Amino acid sequence: MTPEEILGKLKEIVHTIKPKLDLSNVTLESSLVKDLGIDSLSMLLLSLATENEFGLQFEPDVKFNTIGEVVDYIARK
Amino acid sequence: MGNYFYDMLPKEELEQLKHIPTVPEFLGWIEEKWGSLPAESDTKVTYTYSQMCERIGRRRAFLQDAGLAKGDKVAIWEKTSIDAIETFLAALSAGYIGILIPTGLPEQAVKGCCMRFGVSLLAVREEFAAKVADAPCKVVLSSTMADRTAPVAVVDKNDAAAIFFTGGTTGAPKGVILPHRALMRGAFNGCFAPGSQLGYHRMVCLLPLSHVFGLVRSTLSAFYTGSLWYSAEDMKATIGKLPVIKPTLLILVPGLCDILYGLVKMYGPQFLGGNLKMIISGAANVPPRLITAFDELGISLLAGYGMTEGANLTSGNANVLEKPTSVGKIYPGQEVKIVDGEIWFRGDNVFLGYYGDPEATRAALTEDGWLKTGDLGRFDDEGFLYITGRIKNQIILNNGENVSPEEIEEPFYKCAALKDCLVSEMELDGENVIGIEILPQMPAFEGKSWEEVEAFFNRLVDEINCTLPGTHRIRKVIVRHEDFKRTGALKVSRNQK
Repeated sequence: MTPEEILGKLKEIVHTIKPKLDLSNVTLESSLVKDLGIDSLSMLLLSLATENEFGLQFEPDVKFNTIGEVVDYIARK
Repeated sequence: MGNYFYDMLPKEELEQLKHIPTVPEFLGWIEEKWGSLPAESDTKVTYTYSQMCERIGRRRAFLQDAGLAKGDKVAIWEKTSIDAIETFLAALSAGYIGILIPTGLPEQAVKGCCMRFGVSLLAVREEFAAKVADAPCKVVLSSTMADRTAPVAVVDKNDAAAIFFTGGTTGAPKGVILPHRALMRGAFNGCFAPGSQLGYHRMVCLLPLSHVFGLVRSTLSAFYTGSLWYSAEDMKATIGKLPVIKPTLLILVPGLCDILYGLVKMYGPQFLGGNLKMIISGAANVPPRLITAFDELGISLLAGYGMTEGANLTSGNANVLEKPTSVGKIYPGQEVKIVDGEIWFRGDNVFLGYYGDPEATRAALTEDGWLKTGDLGRFDDEGFLYITGRIKNQIILNNGENVSPEEIEEPFYKCAALKDCLVSEMELDGENVIGIEILPQMPAFEGKSWEEVEAFFNRLVDEINCTLPGTHRIRKVIVRHEDFKRTGALKVSRNQK
């Protein structure tokens, strides 16, 4: 999958979690906390859904600040 | 007053239940009543009630051998595990005071707790042990038990049983001292929900044991009703196992309800296992949209209201579809009144006081035993309670955690370019989030554009966010042109409206 495809898929997941959020300006630099409003509970949902969608398992201590870092992580797996 | 709850159970089940005032007596009762039923499981190993009580007895012997005396404090730093709950119940049934330390607390803070509360023994999970080897008390592994059992101690229902943390209004979290009677009243009241409740539920403890709702409603009430309790050492992995565990009842906070509903939307109702009939949610406001959404899946989401100082939910609503904005009727064993709009409670469930803070205790508890909740409320003519506002200075997060704004504001005042700031709940994309208003120290920005001033404070928020627990992070930033409304003492007024 290309980084763009991964980002597109992640945006779909975020849309399910936060249907009211405008995702049109989301870039790889967007902050998960400030721009996407991902708190620790919605991070749990995001990571469960991402693991399911991409068939991977995040390492227990992995931390992400931007959506680009999630894309990189998935691309490396 | 109690009939609303008593009438929820089939008559034969109501007759079987007995209100028990102390933890040692409770352990004896559940062993006798539910002995051969499965009690606790981590999905790999499952113990029956008899086995669980025997293991608790062996842990009691271990604690006694460590030389503890009645009233000594035993802290537990663990995940939501079988070791944690058994050690906690062993401590309480041996006459010690149990303190469940939040799992995510940094090690320095754990050691600080041991110092502050005069802890005699700290039981920790093996992977945490090296971090607290130099704690100011005896440190043992939470998995340890003796090869013999020790009998339970005799305790009075008014003896202190446990200390729980709650967000303070002036910075440091407060220690809420709950006596045996409060824990057991909370556990007993938790048995009442519509329909048959005894001897068949499968419940997963998705809330932390350090939260009174996780310990009392999700755990002690589970044991009271002869349910099978699943630990959740890793929240994400446990949620992933829900299709296998097939829970029948879950105790959640609204934030977790949202997550489970999100998963159902993505992967279908089978993600919850297909047997879930009821969710009880409290500790923060339950949005009516969630009640409707779960109802469409055939799952009742029942809302309640409570606080740490009241040991569990003090009210519960089984009529959520007719009255979705109510937190329900008052549970048995309590009196309630509204004083100048504020909800006051009195009863078995009320705490003894805040540890080492007589001033805060006097502010929250009247001499004749009324707990002033700091919440505003009203009753309708059928006795249903509605929360209408809050006078205490706390932010209640959707995970049920209470945070004081001062705690989040504190690091911002280290920035010399900031004159004042105010943290409060704000709305963002239809959600309640933590927001901050910042008043710049304008001379620091001479020659800079307003955009640059805003960018500076947005960066500051990003930096400070990285140091805050995930749930405390600031999501909305407003940089102010105008000064805040101020109090007579020229402090920033908490009420800017």
